[in-house]
Amino acid sequence: MNGWILAATVALGGGGAAVLWGVTTGPPARRVIAQNLATSAVCPALLLLSQGYGRPAYVDLALLLALLGPVGTLVFARLLCDDLSEEGASAWALTWTAAGLGAAAVVALCVAVGPGRAMVKLLVVGALLISGNVIASRALAGGFRGVRGG
Amino acid sequence: MSDAVIVVVLLLVAACATAAVVQRDPARQALVLSVLGVLLAALFTVLQAPDVGLSQLAVGSALTPLLIMLCVRKIRRRGRPKEDAR
Repeated sequence: MNGWILAATVALGGGGAAVLWGVTTGPPARRVIAQNLATSAVCPALLLLSQGYGRPAYVDLALLLALLGPVGTLVFARLLCDDLSEEGASAWALTWTAAGLGAAAVVALCVAVGPGRAMVKLLVVGALLISGNVIASRALAGGFRGVRGG
Repeated sequence: MSDAVIVVVLLLVAACATAAVVQRDPARQALVLSVLGVLLAALFTVLQAPDVGLSQLAVGSALTPLLIMLCVRKIRRRGRPKEDAR
């Protein structure tokens, strides 16, 4: 067990426990935030696992999750908008903490991998993860009123 | 020692699946189910089956919740006029 897998275990355990607690209790707004947090906790863990196992191909999983995770959150933001509009699901401290975790993982992996195609792929995954996280959080907080209702 | 990550993810998947069954409201079940899809993908990756994990991720994180939420919405809309008529 090397340091990368240990870091992934910590990210999965801590993030997963927080997500489970958030998604099973509390009002709908908090549940959707926790569902969004699942993407931003598991995606860095997948990146760390790919480095830990020494298989660069595993980065594809993190890439797909960074693409599809915010899509899933936007589905809930759109279809649960009646429940969300009452409370306004905004948690910006949590959003930026999760984005910082993703950025830290990506930077550490970039240092380990060194310049090249793999580093470009990692940077793309990181950019997708953080931008998707911020867009989904903004949608949940009611930032896109124009597309709501209906 | 290297099995620690497998144990952690297995425990998370078991807890999440139980939570998905225990929830009563279909919309909340869909939320837990989407988290379960992501966790299952992590489990498959940890068990060295990334191809299964890829398809699980594609289906579980966006497609299944979308279908469930669309069904819930359709049923609620159909039920509303009847309640108003009574």
